[in-house]
Amino acid sequence: MNSDSSVPNPPSSVAQTIPEPTSVPQVRFKGEGGRLLLLLPSENEITTPATAWADLWQQLKQRLNGGDRFWQPNTAVYLIARDRLLDTRQLQAISEALTEAKLNLKRVYTSRRQTAVAAATGGFSVEQQSPIAHLNPETVGQAIAEPLYIETTVRSGVEIRHPGTVIVLGDVNPGSSIVADGDVLVWGALRGVAQAGASGNSRCIIMALRLDPTQIRIADFVARAPETPPQQYYPEVAYVTPDGIRIISTADFSKDRLELPES
Amino acid sequence: MSRIIVVTSGKGGVGKTTTTANLGMALAQRGHKVAVIDADFGLRNLDLLLGLENRIVYTAVEVLAGECRLDQALVRDKRQPNLALLPAAQNRTKDAVTPDQMKKLVGALTKAFHFVLIDCPAGIEMGFQNAITPAREAIVVTTPEVAAVRDADRVVGLLEANDVKRMYLVINRLKPAMVEQDMMMSVKDVQDILAIPLLGVVPDDERVVVSTNRGEPLVLGADSTSLAATAFGNIVRRLEGEKVPFLDLNPPPEDFFSRIRRFFQGRKS
Ligand SMILES: Nc1ncnc2c1ncn2[C@@H]1O[C@H](COP(=O)(O)OP(=O)(O)OP(=O)(O)O)[C@@H](O)[C@H]1O
Ligand SMILES: [Mg+2]
Repeated sequence: MNSDSSVPNPPSSVAQTIPEPTSVPQVRFKGEGGRLLLLLPSENEITTPATAWADLWQQLKQRLNGGDRFWQPNTAVYLIARDRLLDTRQLQAISEALTEAKLNLKRVYTSRRQTAVAAATGGFSVEQQSPIAHLNPETVGQAIAEPLYIETTVRSGVEIRHPGTVIVLGDVNPGSSIVADGDVLVWGALRGVAQAGASGNSRCIIMALRLDPTQIRIADFVARAPETPPQQYYPEVAYVTPDGIRIISTADFSKDRLELPES
Repeated sequence: MSRIIVVTSGKGGVGKTTTTANLGMALAQRGHKVAVIDADFGLRNLDLLLGLENRIVYTAVEVLAGECRLDQALVRDKRQPNLALLPAAQNRTKDAVTPDQMKKLVGALTKAFHFVLIDCPAGIEMGFQNAITPAREAIVVTTPEVAAVRDADRVVGLLEANDVKRMYLVINRLKPAMVEQDMMMSVKDVQDILAIPLLGVVPDDERVVVSTNRGEPLVLGADSTSLAATAFGNIVRRLEGEKVPFLDLNPPPEDFFSRIRRFFQGRKS
């Protein structure tokens, strides 16, 4: 969403068959020219190493459950493991989960020797990449990622982070959170924490069929749920005005948007 | 095929062990061969609730170590021969077994039992993993409290991620009078959040505590006609696939005044 054209000198990246997105906070699928990339977050983006695998696994299962309607059966998947340390058993588990979703693990890309060895041992085709590629500094004018669409109930303890817009077809329960660099759209009840424009874009919005959140944030603005919940819920939108976060019904929002002389 | 059901909750003290003991006993009474496993290593108490503590010779740990056979560790219930308990070791920690070992144990039990119920420890750490890995179905127990529901929700997410997709909800310790006064979450409030099929609602009942202390599941003793015991009985029938209407817990029959009050409140609005 960045229209700034004065991007300073582009990073000198190594030419690769598989392009590397710079920010992958969580497990993510990315379609590209008929093939599907499965992107894993890099080791340093994981907060708690103790639960790293359990978290990764839960995210993978959730993405698989959420997106399976959109994939053709037998689509080839390229696992971009980056610097993640994975053993043979874990690679096997990933492969089996993909197979269950009628996807085919075609090849593993990794920058870790141990992971490459584990993949080869497990009988996967593997390509070891130079780790230099991951050390690229964050690009300034980077395009926002394509929306993440998930069809599931986001349950307590789950945090969904995505460098783009997040669309949830289901409820977002108390104790969970959605952190999006773009908008947050919940086709269901939003009861957890939602953050839109997480990297600073205050023009992002949050909308839900039932907006009953623990807290919402847009860029640096924060709003809490009212002490007394309303008697009735209807679809609402939260957005930033000069006075802070404002919440109105979706119907009024579209009118407003058209009338406002917004930049 | 045998059914392997884990009874789990996330939060401690909400009634997992009580539920396991009563469902195990009620299933056995209805002619099923039932094994209940205490997966709460280090903090076992399923044996206490079943009144079988003094008959334990070996535990699951000795079976796994090859120190005894599985059938030697199983404690048969004298009152109800269809029911057997596989006890957990009291003196070992939760790391004493692995998920794979639990799977093997449960696999062996399915050869002789129709139902295997696994009493899960509180929390979502290793002991939880051990308990859910062999399971094909889960009974998620919660009380109608915000914190318990929050933890139950977390557990539902973890069960989904671990491919235990058949889950049922049991709401325990409901106090209809409090719900009526808007001081406690209602069954619907809990269902709204957890969104898994409701298997039963068990009222809060002092007799549950008495039966716990006596080592005699409610469905077995003199109180087997109590509302809570009936609720457990209904859960078992629903597990068997029968459609059983939910008990009318609201209002409790003895509370005449609240009914009157409700009547007048109803008239006002
Ligand atoms: N329906 C009920 N009415 C009244 N008391 C109850 C009810 N269900 C359980 N209790 C009481 O609550 C206490 C905790 O129950 P229980 O041991 O079954 O919980 P638990 O979930 O297994 O606990 P833990 O997490 O420690 O294993 C016991 O004292 C029990 O008697
Ligand atoms: Mg217990």
